[in-house]
Amino acid sequence: MTPDLLAARLAGIVGQEHVLAQERCAQYAVDGKAPTAAVFPATVEEISKVMRLASSERLSVVPWGSGTKISFGGIPERVDLLVGLARFNRVIEHEPADLTVTIQGGALLREVQAYLGQRGQFLPLDPPLAARATIGGILATNASGPRRLLYGAARDLLIGLRVVHADGTATRGGAKVVKNVSGYDMPKLYIGSLGTLGIIVEATFRIYPLPAVERTWVASFPDGEGASSAVAEMLAAPIVPSSLELLSSPAAQSVARLAGLSLPQGHVALASSVGSVAEAVDAQLGQIKRISERNGAGGGFLLEGDAQERFRTAISEFMPGERNGRVGAVLKASVVISKVLEAVRRGEEIARAVGLQSFAICEAGSGIVRLHWTNNAGEPGVAVEVMAKAIEALRDSIVREGGNLVVMSAPPALKAAVDVWGPVGKALPLMQELKQQFDPHRILNPGRFVGGI
Amino acid sequence: MDKSKIVDELAAIVGREWVISDADELIVYECDGMTYLDKAVPDVVVLPDTTEQVAAVVKVCDREGLAVVPRGAGTGLSGGALPLKGGVMIGLNRMNRILEIDLPNQRAVVEPGLVNIALTQAVRDHGYFFAPDPASQTASSIGGNVAENAGGPHCLKYGATTMHILGLELVLSSGEIVQVGGKTLDVPGYDLTGLFVGSEGTFGICTKVIVRLVRQPEAVQTLLASFRGIEEASEVVSTIIAAGIIPSALELMDRHIIRALEEWLHIGYHEGAGAVLLIELDGPAAEIAAQARGIEGICRTQGVLDLRNAKDDQERALLWKGRKGAAAAVGRITHEYYLQDGVVPRTKLPYVLREIEAIGRRYDFLIANVFHAGDGNLHPLICFDSRREGELQRAIAAGAEIMKLCLSVGGSITGEHGIGMEKIDFMPLMYSPDDLDAMRKVRNAFDRTQRCNPGKLLPTSKSCVETSVAYRPHRIEREGLAQRY
Ligand SMILES: Cc1cc2nc3c(=O)[nH]c(=O)nc-3n(C[C@H](O)[C@H](O)[C@H](O)COP(=O)(O)OP(=O)(O)OC[C@H]3O[C@@H](n4cnc5c(N)ncnc54)[C@H](O)[C@@H]3O)c2cc1C
Repeated sequence: MTPDLLAARLAGIVGQEHVLAQERCAQYAVDGKAPTAAVFPATVEEISKVMRLASSERLSVVPWGSGTKISFGGIPERVDLLVGLARFNRVIEHEPADLTVTIQGGALLREVQAYLGQRGQFLPLDPPLAARATIGGILATNASGPRRLLYGAARDLLIGLRVVHADGTATRGGAKVVKNVSGYDMPKLYIGSLGTLGIIVEATFRIYPLPAVERTWVASFPDGEGASSAVAEMLAAPIVPSSLELLSSPAAQSVARLAGLSLPQGHVALASSVGSVAEAVDAQLGQIKRISERNGAGGGFLLEGDAQERFRTAISEFMPGERNGRVGAVLKASVVISKVLEAVRRGEEIARAVGLQSFAICEAGSGIVRLHWTNNAGEPGVAVEVMAKAIEALRDSIVREGGNLVVMSAPPALKAAVDVWGPVGKALPLMQELKQQFDPHRILNPGRFVGGI
Repeated sequence: MDKSKIVDELAAIVGREWVISDADELIVYECDGMTYLDKAVPDVVVLPDTTEQVAAVVKVCDREGLAVVPRGAGTGLSGGALPLKGGVMIGLNRMNRILEIDLPNQRAVVEPGLVNIALTQAVRDHGYFFAPDPASQTASSIGGNVAENAGGPHCLKYGATTMHILGLELVLSSGEIVQVGGKTLDVPGYDLTGLFVGSEGTFGICTKVIVRLVRQPEAVQTLLASFRGIEEASEVVSTIIAAGIIPSALELMDRHIIRALEEWLHIGYHEGAGAVLLIELDGPAAEIAAQARGIEGICRTQGVLDLRNAKDDQERALLWKGRKGAAAAVGRITHEYYLQDGVVPRTKLPYVLREIEAIGRRYDFLIANVFHAGDGNLHPLICFDSRREGELQRAIAAGAEIMKLCLSVGGSITGEHGIGMEKIDFMPLMYSPDDLDAMRKVRNAFDRTQRCNPGKLLPTSKSCVETSVAYRPHRIEREGLAQRY
């Protein structure tokens, strides 16, 4: 099908004004591959029709939320058609007293939070780049953030969803009630599937009341050991922090600068948040401070309100590479909780050896280590092959300890030189079979998922 | 097939004493906790001790084209462990070891036959617990909990089993052993662990489970609030949730339950109580003190008759004894009961409970209610007497109406007991043919042969909704002992 004919067929489905063709969709390139057309449907029926067309023409499709995580995943084999969800941006159903909400896949998390916030509630998802992320994109990438410690991640919050599959079939999975074991737990299938099984058009979540008071204690430690043993003690104590963020010293300096705090050079930071009624917040922060001091903390800051918000945004938007115009790579390692510091250290050593700087932001209570690798200010970038080797070396050491490492974001040249996902072992045939069942012609995001799925 | 040859082969794998093939002994395995519908006897029961033995047994089944039915403790309430097509039942009771307890990382690795409570017992003194707490926790196996995605009173706060399972070792229908998930979060790839939880034995057999251990709370407070009727009580439930208070458990019992319990266990419920709420709060002391004040305020403005606060562990245990004994107490006042399991949005509870009462009147059954009110998970007990002609069928019909009622308000046909064979014909009422097809695709990906626990969870054909709602004839109907009307 010629590009013009494709654009015309799409316009026939959604209307001329919701189709972009050829050079007009350059901004929607994925790893440098621009689609032939971009289409912005408004209804499930329209998406179904678009998918039927794509399916019969074997056009590869990239579902697109807002693009904040579009650099995630392997380099797509082909990019023909972009299906944008910008017009799927409504809250469909919200019954405050049931603590559930149903939202369209293209809705911006920020807008959902603003809406729920007026009713004293929130969806406890706080992924990186939260300000621009969409619900569907967050689910497809299983993006999570600091507050996962208390509230869980997408898999713990999503209770129902609606998906349009490669052949245009629209299905629902799960339900709108918080407890449900009728049939397979279909919502789990799509979380983290990176748009390779279907397009998430609607999602129902369990939501939570906003805590009456929320405060964060940012303690600085002269070394990682102190912070790390403080984390272990906090986790073993009967306190319930909503997040425990460990920042390596370069990361702590960057975040502090953005948040308007001043932390001693060379110190690592541990930010512990507690949300509850005021008495309970103060009592728990008191314990957190005592534990921190016992483990050598050299002081800290109590944050709330706007200052706390600034600090959170600094973490969510953390992107040190952009400072000097060169983005390195963002890596995410998952390790057991007790190995967080070790992963940070290994990341620093390996990066340093090849002339890179490593900034670590860790969800220390969940074992998630985010590493931002970037060239040192003023120095030239590091060759792609060198960086790829360094990533593999770090991955090896993390996998040996039972963890995993995924490249979250990297320039296409680097992605071409490294497996962004790492090994998935003997489970791969099962995953390939799932893909085969749902998308036999491999039109949805081909090549971007594990094992080349 | 030559049964005796297969029995010999299985005996060579697990040892002669761990193979059961005598008709007399097989009777033990003819049903699980769902005793009133079909029964089915497996051809052979095998009790393996290791993953490798499970895999070897499954390979034999694969070669012979035999159905494979995993069984934990057999407490399932939807007929999940019924070997509807015969074949080999794999009992996992011997595989009940705790392989690893890793407190700093809040993980344990266990075998599937481990009884739920045993894990909490093993870590209790260190300040941890395994959160899923089905009422059957002293008997049911963690493998069974995984397969059913079991719930329990405290999953209001802590979530159902799925939130506590991080990784599994699986034996697929080919006999292949596969690890999915792990001790860490976010293992790359599709969430096979999450998919397996709740798959009711139809994807294969889980032979190892990596679970999350949870820190014990600083404090626990247990309240019993008495109300004139179930409507007042259920309205308080949604007011509590709407106020942003999430107790760790929020259970409701109606007047039938209260009476039956009082006659039996003498809990000392308030005299005028037509419904009670058992409310448990846990967490930091200062937090639950504030929550308790909030709940007290709500109860007072919504007509509470009496609000009792357990002074100590002993009184707390007494209040829970009532809740835990509720079904048994009903068992004392009726010949038998049909326990339903459905879910509704919490705001719909007052309406739905009224309608259930009306269903009881229409069918002329006493329907007692004791349930996980905090998450809208109903457990109506339909009291009947199968010795009276047609009552079983009527009880089942009343149960079907309750399920339809749950669906009519946007709920679910099961909150924790699963579909099994009991509710298989109701799936088309909740899901469209395309929705069910999507589930079939997942099933095909895990078990193309369809020999893992056949006849469960998914209706086989896209049968017409109306005809499929009717129950398959019960044994007593087939034997001409009773008629449906
Ligand atoms: C008195 C009583 C109270 C109950 N209370 C609750 C409650 O509060 N909440 C709740 O959720 N349930 C409850 N149940 C139901 C039941 O206990 C749960 O469903 C439990 O999880 C079943 O565990 P089991 O070991 O008995 O499994 P079984 O009954 O043996 O099997 C259940 C299903 O799991 C499959 N299975 C078992 N082991 C494995 C394995 N290793 N791998 C793959 N599949 C497997 C079986 O094939 C079957 O389909 C109750 C039951 C009773 C009798």
